[in-house]
Amino acid sequence: MNERITERLKLPDSVVQKYGRFGWPLGLAGVALVIVGAFLSWSYDPDVLGDLSLNLYPGGLQILAIIIALVSLALLLIVRGPLKPRFGPWVDAALGLRAAGTWLLIYMALIVAGISAEAGGLINVNPGGWVALLGALLLFAGSRLIAPSAELRDLSEAKVPSSLEILVIAVMMAAILFGAAYALGREDAWSFVLFLVFAGGLIAIGVRTGFVTWFGHSSIRNRKVLTLAAFVVAFFFPFTQGGSDANMSIATQVLIFAATAMGLNIVVGLAGLLDLGYVAFLGAGAYVAAMLSNSAFATIDWKPPFVVVMLCGAGVAATLGLIIGSPTLRVSGDYLAIVTLGFGEIFRLSMFNLDGTNGPLLTNGPNGIPAIPDLEIGSFNFGDTHEVLGIELARFSNYYFLLLALLAFVILVFTRLNNSRIGRGWVAIREDEKAAEAMGVNTFGLKLLAFAVGAFLAGLAGTIKAHQDVAVSPDQYIFLESAFLLAAIVLGGMGTVAGVLLGATILKLLPEKLRFFSEYRLLFFGLLLVLMMRFRPEGLVASRRRQLEFHEEDEELAVAVESELAEEVGK
Amino acid sequence: MDQFFQQLINGLTLGSLYALIAVGYTVVYGIVQLINFAHGEVFMIGAFGALSTYLLLFDDQTQVWILPIMLIGAIAASVITAVLMERVAYRPLRNAPRLAPLITAIGISVFLQEAVRLFYDKIPGFPSAKQRIPFPQIDVVTGPAIQIGDVTIQRAGIFTMAALAVCSALLWYFVNRTRLGRGMQAVSQDPDTASLMGINVDRIIVVAFAMGAVLAAIAGVSQGLQNSNIDFRMGFLAGLKAFTAAVLGGIGNIQGAVVGGLVLGVVEAMAIEYIPGQFGGSSWKDVWAFVILILVLVFRPQGLLGARVVDRA
Amino acid sequence: MHQRSVVRVGASLLVASLALTACGSRGEDDAGGGTSDKKVAKIGVIAPLSGDLSALGLGIQHSVELAAKQANDSNAIEGWTIEVAPKDDEAKPDVGKNAATALAADKDVVGVVGTLNSSVSQSVQPVLSSAKITQVSPANTNPALTQGANWKTGPARTYPGYFRTCTTDAIQGPFGARYLFEKAGIKKVATIHDKKAYGQGLVETFTEEFKAAGGQVVSAQTINPDDANYQAVISKVKPSAPEAVYYGGEYPQAGPLSQQMKAAGLNVPLMGGDGIFDPKYIELGGKTSTNDLATSVGAPTDTLETAKKFVADYNAAGYKDPYAAYGAYSFDAANAIIAALKESLKDADSAESARQATIDAMSKVQFDGVTGKVAFDQYGDTTSKVLTVYKVTGGKWAPVQTEDFAK
Repeated sequence: MNERITERLKLPDSVVQKYGRFGWPLGLAGVALVIVGAFLSWSYDPDVLGDLSLNLYPGGLQILAIIIALVSLALLLIVRGPLKPRFGPWVDAALGLRAAGTWLLIYMALIVAGISAEAGGLINVNPGGWVALLGALLLFAGSRLIAPSAELRDLSEAKVPSSLEILVIAVMMAAILFGAAYALGREDAWSFVLFLVFAGGLIAIGVRTGFVTWFGHSSIRNRKVLTLAAFVVAFFFPFTQGGSDANMSIATQVLIFAATAMGLNIVVGLAGLLDLGYVAFLGAGAYVAAMLSNSAFATIDWKPPFVVVMLCGAGVAATLGLIIGSPTLRVSGDYLAIVTLGFGEIFRLSMFNLDGTNGPLLTNGPNGIPAIPDLEIGSFNFGDTHEVLGIELARFSNYYFLLLALLAFVILVFTRLNNSRIGRGWVAIREDEKAAEAMGVNTFGLKLLAFAVGAFLAGLAGTIKAHQDVAVSPDQYIFLESAFLLAAIVLGGMGTVAGVLLGATILKLLPEKLRFFSEYRLLFFGLLLVLMMRFRPEGLVASRRRQLEFHEEDEELAVAVESELAEEVGK
Repeated sequence: MDQFFQQLINGLTLGSLYALIAVGYTVVYGIVQLINFAHGEVFMIGAFGALSTYLLLFDDQTQVWILPIMLIGAIAASVITAVLMERVAYRPLRNAPRLAPLITAIGISVFLQEAVRLFYDKIPGFPSAKQRIPFPQIDVVTGPAIQIGDVTIQRAGIFTMAALAVCSALLWYFVNRTRLGRGMQAVSQDPDTASLMGINVDRIIVVAFAMGAVLAAIAGVSQGLQNSNIDFRMGFLAGLKAFTAAVLGGIGNIQGAVVGGLVLGVVEAMAIEYIPGQFGGSSWKDVWAFVILILVLVFRPQGLLGARVVDRA
Repeated sequence: MHQRSVVRVGASLLVASLALTACGSRGEDDAGGGTSDKKVAKIGVIAPLSGDLSALGLGIQHSVELAAKQANDSNAIEGWTIEVAPKDDEAKPDVGKNAATALAADKDVVGVVGTLNSSVSQSVQPVLSSAKITQVSPANTNPALTQGANWKTGPARTYPGYFRTCTTDAIQGPFGARYLFEKAGIKKVATIHDKKAYGQGLVETFTEEFKAAGGQVVSAQTINPDDANYQAVISKVKPSAPEAVYYGGEYPQAGPLSQQMKAAGLNVPLMGGDGIFDPKYIELGGKTSTNDLATSVGAPTDTLETAKKFVADYNAAGYKDPYAAYGAYSFDAANAIIAALKESLKDADSAESARQATIDAMSKVQFDGVTGKVAFDQYGDTTSKVLTVYKVTGGKWAPVQTEDFAK
């Protein structure tokens, strides 16, 4: 879709031919203006957007503008200048510049809009802001005039020493860590949105120049390094918070959500079985943990160590998974979706009812089980603040590490299964169940297994969630939560790890940070589902094979998938 | 025994409501093999359409002649919603993998609920839909219950059952005796051949959506009269129950939907009365309804009256 | 070679910007603006500021803001300014917990007014208590919040920093029972509740007292608050021919229940607690809700001098939203915290260091508030036990009887 928009924004060839020579100087002038502007005051009011009112001392948002400007400068120098001989044949600098121009313009326009909205009127925008906006405009115009490089070499053929590749991966991961910490630190919605625009701009530049393609190939080559780096970054995240727990509380929720979504990804993404009641498994784990906890409201008088509780919770969830999976023997497709939806409702209503009056006393009914004490593994209490390397790590940071380990485990299970005989069986079932059965795939067993494994993982997550949340109650496990989990997968990209992590982060983080938006959160959520299905059903990060299922007529894609598969087999 | 007849009446009242909504699921499914998950929202919008008509034209009046006009308002709102939904969201996905329309339906469902919740009071003179809104109480169809022996029959309940009877008769006539209705039958049996025979399949599909919407709108008004209040969430559970009813009767089968609705309503009412001990009573009635749904899907996917079962893989 | 030039450009820019860092100074330093050298103590608010219950939540927020404004205007605490930090909980435990964590991380916060829902408080309590922040709820009625899980048999305080200005269910239920039996002369009732802590608690305490007084509970039912049709329950209640129905729960269910009861021919009054004491109840219940009863905490607002002043001040302050059901309690809650702060901030260096002292000072707080006398017992519950019975008369709640209810 992006390409179509770019096509529309393109100037007619005649104009490019006639005025093309002005493109480069115009772009350079734009970059210079943005940088100069960023060193001047943007806002009269020091209280908006994190103080942009000082001259010669750029604030956070101004530095972001400088970063985009510097990237643009580098691209300009690739188009014409000292960087051309080395990078020219590889990097599509012209397209990258167009992306930079567009996004920088959006960014500056939003800055101006933000200042005038927050401080009350355009009058509050100081000259620096206008200078930078003008610069962005010039870059935007200039980039349109630069003719795209005629012949580019395929970036997947670029030979770069693997040490450099690993270095780039490390730098990227560090940038993500820094970016995440910075984004979470933004208190006001405007700054947060502006940072998102900045990040979006960088990603767009990366896509346009071909950097993302190259990075994708190099990360396939160095997959282990990438995974390791990602986890190291995630591990160090709490240390960037300076002892504050506010963001960590959100981060733990993202992790729980992501781990659960990853479990659902096995059922939906790999085996292709639509489950609309998945949150019940998370709930089963949470309720088991709550009932076996030391809470004064707990209903079972057996207090085993937490490892046993985890296994119990996951075991109960997996059993429920088997029960709910058993109809798959006879029903499939939409019917299965409705069966699972019905099951989810049965779970919620049962938790609601089992309060001693309408059934045995297990769950305290709608009041749930509150006051669940913090976990204590050995002598390590998760409620206490611990000091590591001089940085205080409080309650949520402790849970964060535990949940990170859980997420790693879930991802490990997911990828191992995906690359095994079982995973290939699931793909076969997903694509054509009858054919799979004819080829001797044990379809019923594999489908049951998908439900059981998915439920087991969600149950594990649930046991930790109960302690982390302090309380469990039936209204945490409504249908909408299942829909959210499904949406995380659909949004990110079914069957992928990175996509689902991305989807989960987007769905949990954005509403937390964009409070003003929370009233309209569900409205946009519904709209998002409809639009995604219409325009990009394969998700943001699509697995190629999945993409092909949604775009069967796309010959080029089919060839690409085939060659990729060949590559994988060849290794 | 009095309690038996009382619960039978309660069950038939409830069941009539389910049946009216269930027809919408079944008709659409029969023709495009699509579970229109957002049909419950069409029902909800019908109720709001009726309320809006009342607030705009007859605020504070209760004469019975208002009711037909409210019904027209409800039907208009529902039909417009359903047709737009088909046109904008479902039609482009007609050849997409099965997952896509179902997720779209969930999206539409959430979107419509939220749109009503957030924007209903933006219309001047309308109350906020964030809470339950009182539904107008119309003479004759609401008011003191009718007492026959020990059995109490609510006026709104009679209205619902009568509405179902009239609608079923009209529906039967429409499907079997009109050109359009026979076209629908043809498309549901074989869309490709039907289109070769000169039937406009797109048009038939729109008619199916509209037809379901008309019945859902009438159900919306019935529920408003019965419960004396409506809210933006009312479509979710009602839709799910109605879907259960449609499956129970054999999805795709119009008579099945009516029978399924009535059976489900009566079973629910009887479960409240006759399941002894802690698992009886109104707390568990929804659970029993869903248990029935699952059992039917597993053991008799063609439903009570049977239907042509398409492979839904 | 070419790479190096990029590095050179980048490096020189970096050096330049670093050098410039020395020239400016940003933020923080000039924050006070020179108006005064007062220190800041913050009172947080955790309430549903968006969503279905936002009308109640915004009323809480504005009432606290009013209390803070009055305290600042009268310079109630020497050398300190009080600020209000409102946080939205969307009436959800998860969100409430995030809000509490954010407040606990703010070093200026000493007290919190909130929450609206007992269920949210259950998640908020541990977070605030581990940060030693005083929490005063204007609306939580679940006895377990102050007196622990076993409040009926062995009450024990779990969170020493938690207080509330509203009466618990343990008082309201018996009060209603006493009124029905003694004043209204009703001997046979049916009870219905929504299974939530509030409703169930009311019905349990009501039943106990009603039976003790010699009355008879002929039917006990529950409903699911998600339902909108109560025909099933009404059919079960009706054959037992009660003279009144006592409902534990809130008005969104109680209103339709009353209406449907009467449409089904069960023409007896419905009685409930403060959860149904709302104009919306009458709207939903329709004309047939006349003669239905509700108990509510405190004396009617137009009988107390302090209350009249609060209403006048609130309206004069020009807030966008009405003070709603819990405004008066929130105003009292905020003033209770402010009264404690007068003690604890006296010789404190920072707001954070005064947190524990504030909790200690809370138990000694005593003043005439909007809802009556404000003081807390050994569990943190209000000592005020003044209750009023209201009856639906002519489409409005009219007070019938006010009593200091000593159990």
